Amino acid sequence: MKELDPLLHSQLRLAVMSILMNVDEADFVYIKEKTESTAGNLSVQLDKLSSAGYIDVEKGFAGKRTRTVCRVTPKGRQAFEGYVNALKEYLNL
Amino acid sequence: MEEKKLSERESLEVIMAMINRTKERYMLGDGNILLMWGYVVIAVSALVWALLALTHNPAVNWLWFLIWIIGGIATPVMARKKQIDKGVKSLYDKIISRLWSIVGYATIAAVLSCLGFLLIGGKDSWAMMFEIALIIVPIVEMAQGVLLDEKCFIVGGAIGLAVGIFTMCCLAGDVTLYAYWYMPLFMVTIAVMMILPGHTLNYKARHRK
Repeated sequence: MKELDPLLHSQLRLAVMSILMNVDEADFVYIKEKTESTAGNLSVQLDKLSSAGYIDVEKGFAGKRTRTVCRVTPKGRQAFEGYVNALKEYLNL
Repeated sequence: MEEKKLSERESLEVIMAMINRTKERYMLGDGNILLMWGYVVIAVSALVWALLALTHNPAVNWLWFLIWIIGGIATPVMARKKQIDKGVKSLYDKIISRLWSIVGYATIAAVLSCLGFLLIGGKDSWAMMFEIALIIVPIVEMAQGVLLDEKCFIVGGAIGLAVGIFTMCCLAGDVTLYAYWYMPLFMVTIAVMMILPGHTLNYKARHRK
């Protein structure tokens, strides 16, 4: 049986990846709102996903405010699909 | 939501919950860009019609370019604002944006082609711009309606396309499109094709919140 990717097998990181798999791109505020997480915790988890190459994080400006936009990378997409396939095996789906 | 390890079943629940939460935000955008185009086209059409009736000067027809100048400047500004407000660009947004980009490129090609005919051959081929407004735009609008599952876009686009086919038949059959009947028909068609669906979309978006 396949091992579940430890980077994805955590609540917040999995939630972030599930959102990004479902959209083209999403900003920090949107992800924070949808995951109901704190800014500090989300920021740490985004860094972890970004360091692993699972997401691209682009920091820019919207007017005078900073805007962080996240997108899933091909590597992240592949990892997520592998994770879901492994989950199916564990759950006999 | 916190950072914690999950059971396999909890993982599946997190994935399903996030899919459902992202659905509600991108099911419908707002109809402001469509409304802007609709009102600009009708306002410029009315202006050109009025000035032609008053002055009988064909140079007034250059004012049609106002549509593309105003729309071309306002669209990217409004699209960027919309995306920042929503905080997300869905896969539907991406496809729809690319479809409308194709309309934009087709329009540029058509304008250049018409200018070429006028400047090189001395031929007035501007009537083909109706093909853009009433053939290509309705087809893309119907495609958008299919993607968003919005009937008002499909119906509006279908009516626009029907008038577009009628217009093409008139042009091919040398039937003169007199302003006194064609301009009202054109403006009503644009209203049905853009303004009604735009307001319907905004209404639905407001009531879903």
